[in-house]
Amino acid sequence: MKILRARLLSLTLDLFLWAYLLYSGFTLYYLAELWTPWRPEEKLVWPALSPWEWAVVIVGIVEVVLLTRSFGPSLGQRVLGVHLVGEGGARPTLAQSLAHFGFSHLELLLLGGGIWLNPQTPWHERCIGLRFEPLPPPESAVRRPPWYRTIYGLTALLLVAMTLALGWRLTEVDLQKLIRSASKSLRIWRGLIHPSFQYLVQPDPRIKLSFLDGLVQSLYMALLATVAGIIVAFPLSFAGARNIAARSSLGWLFYSLTRGFFNVFRAVESVFWASIFAIWVGFGPFAGAMALFIHTLAALGKLFSEQVEHIDPGPVEALTATGANLFQVLRYAVVPQVIPQFLAFSLYRWDINLRMATVVALVGGGGIGQLLFEYKDDLQWNLVGGVIILFMITVWIMDYVSGWVREKIV
Amino acid sequence: MRKGGAGSAPPFSMPHLVVENLTKIYERGKIRALSNVSFSVEKGEFLVLIGLSGSGKSTLLRCINRLVEPTSGRIFLNGVELTKLSPRAMRRMRRKIGMVFQQFNLVKRATVLQNVLAGRLGYNPTIPTLLGRFPKEDIRRAQVCLERVGLLDKMYVRADQLSGGQQQRVGIARALMQEPELLLADEPVSALDPATSHSVMQYIEQINKEDGVTVIASLHFLSLARRYGQRIIALKAGEKVFDGKPGEIDDRKFKEIYGEEAEEVEVR
Repeated sequence: MKILRARLLSLTLDLFLWAYLLYSGFTLYYLAELWTPWRPEEKLVWPALSPWEWAVVIVGIVEVVLLTRSFGPSLGQRVLGVHLVGEGGARPTLAQSLAHFGFSHLELLLLGGGIWLNPQTPWHERCIGLRFEPLPPPESAVRRPPWYRTIYGLTALLLVAMTLALGWRLTEVDLQKLIRSASKSLRIWRGLIHPSFQYLVQPDPRIKLSFLDGLVQSLYMALLATVAGIIVAFPLSFAGARNIAARSSLGWLFYSLTRGFFNVFRAVESVFWASIFAIWVGFGPFAGAMALFIHTLAALGKLFSEQVEHIDPGPVEALTATGANLFQVLRYAVVPQVIPQFLAFSLYRWDINLRMATVVALVGGGGIGQLLFEYKDDLQWNLVGGVIILFMITVWIMDYVSGWVREKIV
Repeated sequence: MRKGGAGSAPPFSMPHLVVENLTKIYERGKIRALSNVSFSVEKGEFLVLIGLSGSGKSTLLRCINRLVEPTSGRIFLNGVELTKLSPRAMRRMRRKIGMVFQQFNLVKRATVLQNVLAGRLGYNPTIPTLLGRFPKEDIRRAQVCLERVGLLDKMYVRADQLSGGQQQRVGIARALMQEPELLLADEPVSALDPATSHSVMQYIEQINKEDGVTVIASLHFLSLARRYGQRIIALKAGEKVFDGKPGEIDDRKFKEIYGEEAEEVEVR
């Protein structure tokens, strides 16, 4: 059964692998504008091939897969830890591999007839003298060839190379442009190294906010969002810990819902929440704080839950045995074990929130970020420089202080 | 005395603890940890459980206070059927059953006093205890219990600053806080060196003798079992293979319990 599963899974894996390699190859070829059978207005589209072209592609993939599977472990076989071996674990000879390649086609036409009946030694492998076996464990004395001389190693190399190349093209990386157009950014750099603190204390008459006003607003916005997030995440973290919550089937439901909530709300970035809240409660720091709060709650909830899951279960058992109820057990056996980590995570989160507080301003979150984006849009680079320097100093101080505090408590 | 208990009152005096046909099968792996174990314990008895690791000693002890839910069988304490109690009633009952653990199971970051006071949680209402408040008399009681185990001067020391033997004595003090009728000790000395083992066992013996607390202790070494046990029950692969006086375990019996290759080791 295990062998059959490994056979089918590795075959599926190999098929997907080579289909992906072929597809990325085509895409690269197209993006290099060497060949354009694709719809030209889109980059990644289903290739518009005629039926017989499709047939060629599919047969090609199957042939390559059969070939790699006959000559030494393919990547799929390697991943699932199986391979083809001869008598006494010997490596298949060239003749055996060729014969296996040929017979595989027959087996394929029979829809894998022999494999269903005898997954380990189906007829076509038995008559060549090969068998399908789990790989020897790594601690066994069998010498393995270096990866670059195996089919699976080369396939993996090809996979990595193709993926990186495709990534490079799709990201439209253009180093020439980066260097050639460097002069365009010169104005910005000049502004940044000649920062203006004109509105440090005195409010900018147009935005009605001074640098310090914005900074203080951001600091408190981050602080409030962090504290509110901690207050809600703390009790929820016990519900989201498998060892505490998931003891009964009702508990399982509760646990899964809590964890699901954390994962979903964490996956959505603060910026997105900010744009929702900017419409909901209007532009300004409140929208930003709400966005940071939601994200903090979900992120801290998950981190806290994981800490609760890693506690020493001994004290929980001991206090349960004294007749304490669930809340008492949590308070006396769990909380003392997780408090230092909770504090460290909370401080770290405040750091993140302070930085995020500028970003949520992009979509109307208020605070110092609002100044940053207003000045950027007006191309007032000296003022942008001033804001950035002020903000950098603040973040440095915060980083230093919270790092020091974290060191003290853990 | 019995609140919310579903047990039926016994017509005549029953032993302190009765275990009837206790079976535990762990669902994962379908391991049969205990099969059909029956025995009873008189009030004030010192019973020792012996057997190899994995023979079911820990499971048996944890079935008694239902930290582990038995698959079948019945357990009576003072005639009350524990196996029938609601979770709430079982919590009340657990207050009278102290437990001492192999790994001490103290909260390491908390002080000795906090650890000992935790033994009193079941007697106190939830809200004040969540705020960390205990009645004055509980704090006095904690001092008395710590004095009994000779650790009064360590009251405000963090638990992880203590040696193994001291930590186990804190564990005993925590159990004493419950004013238990029954004390379950799960390998209380196997994490300790021989000299400390005896000191800890003597504290347990003292509680048994002076307070009349029934003790059920699982022990690794037969020599310790012989020294402290009034009666010994041996488990092998979840089954009871011996029940009698320590003196009745001869060479043949020993080999039956521990296997043919075993050799008796003395702990002095």
